[in-house]
Amino acid sequence: VQNREGPHGIRAGHQVAAKSWGTGRAVSRVPRVKGGGTHRAGQGAYANMCRGGRMFAPTKVWRRWHRKINTNQKRYAVCSAVAASAVPALVMARGHRIQAVDEIPLVIEQDFSSVKKTRAALNTLQAFHLSPELRRCKRRYKRAGRGKSRNRRWKHRLGPLIIYAKNDGIAQSVRNIRGVDFCNVYSLNLLKLAPGGHVGRLIIWTEDAFKALNDVYGNNSRNATLKKNYRPPRSIMTNSDLNRIINSQEIQSAINPKRSRKVFEKKRNPLKHPDLYAKLNPLFDQQWQELKKDYKDNAIPSTTRVLKPLKKKQRVMIQLSKEEKEQMKPYWKNVFGDDKIFK
Amino acid sequence: MADKKSQKKELSQKQKFRKDRKAAQMKKKLSLSVPVPEGLKKAWERENRAIAIRKKIRESKLAALPKKRQNQADRIKRYEQEYVQIKTDRQTNIINARKDGNFFKDTDPKIAIVIRIRGINRVSPKVRKVLQLFRLLQIHNAVFIKLNKATINMLKLIQPYIAYGYPSVGCIRSLIYKRGFAKIRSRPGAISRIPIMSSELIEKNLGRSNIETVEDMVHEIATVGPNFTKTVNFLWPFKLNCPKGGYRGRKRRHFLEGGTYGNWEHHINNLVQRML
Repeated sequence: VQNREGPHGIRAGHQVAAKSWGTGRAVSRVPRVKGGGTHRAGQGAYANMCRGGRMFAPTKVWRRWHRKINTNQKRYAVCSAVAASAVPALVMARGHRIQAVDEIPLVIEQDFSSVKKTRAALNTLQAFHLSPELRRCKRRYKRAGRGKSRNRRWKHRLGPLIIYAKNDGIAQSVRNIRGVDFCNVYSLNLLKLAPGGHVGRLIIWTEDAFKALNDVYGNNSRNATLKKNYRPPRSIMTNSDLNRIINSQEIQSAINPKRSRKVFEKKRNPLKHPDLYAKLNPLFDQQWQELKKDYKDNAIPSTTRVLKPLKKKQRVMIQLSKEEKEQMKPYWKNVFGDDKIFK
Repeated sequence: MADKKSQKKELSQKQKFRKDRKAAQMKKKLSLSVPVPEGLKKAWERENRAIAIRKKIRESKLAALPKKRQNQADRIKRYEQEYVQIKTDRQTNIINARKDGNFFKDTDPKIAIVIRIRGINRVSPKVRKVLQLFRLLQIHNAVFIKLNKATINMLKLIQPYIAYGYPSVGCIRSLIYKRGFAKIRSRPGAISRIPIMSSELIEKNLGRSNIETVEDMVHEIATVGPNFTKTVNFLWPFKLNCPKGGYRGRKRRHFLEGGTYGNWEHHINNLVQRML
């Protein structure tokens, strides 16, 4: 973590006096070590691709190591982390095995902070059904990747964080249990409360530590006594049990009834299926009820075929009498005249 | 089916015992160990009340249905007679005119079906805009358009992109039955393309204009009625197939030059039937 890191930088690769030989000597133009009498003479130096050269962009000590963060923001973060540790869903989501734990937040009697032996501390944690949690953290394992060879070889899971108000031996007894961390409530460490930036660490409070939270951070109604003019951030909802709110009488009596889902029928061609055509066309429906009896179950024809005989009745034929036909002869004479082709 | 059942093996006594025990366990789990919570009880009561109301409404609708269907059937009969009457009127007018040595000019067609026959690339802006206004956004999209001076001039602008003509009643009918989709606004901001599979859909949306069935829609479109715009707008533009048997000759020429674009007049019915 950079705020905590000491500054570091690299100086390697510039501890020779090297100069390029220039062109005309059938060698590359990289700077070369001066002198003679040794292998090193004439070898390339300085450049990042040379053996024994310095790296590209050597890390500098004057890198900006520290970040300034507003105090209020820092306190906000700690408040959020502490609040998240009280939500079982978030604690479980972070990976802690709390299925058997009685209650979250888990607060233990004040005697817990004066436990001196690791065996005693372990027994206490097991009595609070934290064995699955400790079992999870027991193993350490090798890191995946190059970090192994960069002094970050081993990793392990993080388990419960024990927060005490006064250390009467708890810190010493618990520090050798893998996965368990400890912290003083008067100087809460965000890096332990939300490791990796993920809220919801399983926290075990001692009685005094839990009570001291009001002094350290304050309440909805009063400021923190141990900080100047500080009150914890206000919650967005006073009642965050959505399930209860939605199903309450007040809301249920005011909302509209549940609507049935609109399912639209799949498109089928009414010109192929007389049943569908009948559904859409009430007149055809009446005719189809009688026509259906003529057809067997398996041999229902398409609608167009059924409609053909029905349509024939609608043809428009105008009957002309002989006199009327005589009357129209001059018309055709007007149109065609003396053209012999059409006669 | 009967053979399969007889082939099923008889369970051994041990398996039977296990099965029964499991069933008993499941039964135990289902019964509540705690009296029914008030909130749950109230929710059940609410649900039951809503069900009862919905049932009542459904039943009243069903009771009124036969009468409604009869009314619709009567109306459709009237429409069919009307279509026949139109034809006979035209014929008698022609014959009467010929008797006097005159010609009979029928009223100009009031409705056209317009089919977009060219794709979306390399379209000039004016043409693009007019096609947009006519809702012809895709090749082989077809719409019904009322013919008046304004629309006729618009059609002139987009002539090379469309094939249009005067549809017959049968053409309109087959289009709506086979390719009829409706434009339904199910939620604010959500427009869906729903197939017309029941009269309820039409009634819900066009009931105000006294259009309840597909035949009502066809009548409204064929004889350009007062609610023509509403009906045609309710229909999603028809998405037609490529013409079976192909286009005429060279597609990119006017119909009169042996091509496809332009005014097909009543020959458009042939094209539509092949594209249906």
